[in-house]
Amino acid sequence: MHEGFHDVAWLARTRAEGDVTAWLERLPYARHIGVSATPDDAGEGEGLIYQLEPHEHNVGNILLPALHGGVVAAFMETAGTLDLMMATREPRLPRIVDFSIDYLRTARVVPTHARCRLLREGRRLANVQVVAWQEAETLPVATARLHFVLATPDEDA
Amino acid sequence: MPNASPPTADEWRTALTRFVTVIPHTRGLGLDVVSVDPPEVIMRLPWQDALLGDVERGLVHGGVLTMLLDTVCGSAVLCGLPEPEVCPTLDLRVDHYRPAVAGMAILAEARVVRVTASMVFTEGTLWQTPGRTIARGIGNFVRLGARNTPPGFGEALFGDADHA
Repeated sequence: MHEGFHDVAWLARTRAEGDVTAWLERLPYARHIGVSATPDDAGEGEGLIYQLEPHEHNVGNILLPALHGGVVAAFMETAGTLDLMMATREPRLPRIVDFSIDYLRTARVVPTHARCRLLREGRRLANVQVVAWQEAETLPVATARLHFVLATPDEDA
Repeated sequence: MPNASPPTADEWRTALTRFVTVIPHTRGLGLDVVSVDPPEVIMRLPWQDALLGDVERGLVHGGVLTMLLDTVCGSAVLCGLPEPEVCPTLDLRVDHYRPAVAGMAILAEARVVRVTASMVFTEGTLWQTPGRTIARGIGNFVRLGARNTPPGFGEALFGDADHA
C-alpha cells in the first residue's frame, strides 16, 4: 500500500515522529489556505501551535479587510483533527461528526494561530476544543468545538 | 434600494453573484449563484482537486463545507433584510451527515428563518445528489444596523452596471 492516512504503518510512523507536516502535505484544501504546524517552544508541554497564512485568497471581506470566517473555521477544523490524531492513545483516524464555532473578534489579514485541547477521548468519540488568535493568545478571534468518531486505520470504511 | 420596487429574483442573483465574486476566497474557488428567491439562496461550488481532504478515499475536506455554509448563509442574510446590512457571523454549527465525494459539484441552499432587531437566524443544507444531504448548518448573524453599514453598501451590491 502506498503511503497515506490509510496505511497503518505510515500513520504509526509519522505519528511517532510527530510529523504533522507529512499529514498536511496530504490535505489539499489545508494546503490551499496555507496551514502549518510548529512545536510550542515557549509552552510547557509538547503541544503544537498551528498557523494560517494570511493569503490574499483567504480574504472574505475586502472593506475591512478581514479573513473569510469560513476559512478560519476550516483552519481550526484542520488543527483540531491533526492535533487529535497526535493526541489519541493509539493511532486513530478521526471522522468529523459536528463542528461549532463562535466568532469573537474580526480576523485581520495577518497570521492566525491556533492551539487545541483534547477534552475527552472515549472508545468511539472524541471532543476537541480549538482556540484561534492573532496578536495575542489572550485575545482570541474564535473558539471552536469538534466531535469526532474515532476509527482504527484499517476499519474505517 | 430606497424609493424603488423590491429587486427581482434576477436582480438578486446578479447582486449576490457580485457579492461572492468580490470575496477573494469564493472568487478563487469559482462559486456560482444558481438562484435567489428571497430569503432563500442556492449556490454551486464546482469541483476542483483543491477541495480534497482525503486524497486516497477521494473525500472533500470538512472545512470546505463549513466555509460554503458560512458563505451561503451569509448571502441569504443580505436578501432577507429590508435593506442590505453588514452582518458578521456570530456563530455557526455544522452537522456532517455523510462525506462529500471528489469529482462532483457541491450545491448549497440557505434561507433566513427569523429576523429580529439585533439578529438574523439562518439555516443551510449541502448536497451533491438531490435528497442526500451532506451537511446541515445553522448560522446566526449580528445586525450592525444601517448606522454601521458603509454608505452605498446596498447600491454597490446592486450597482448600476452602466455606472459601475
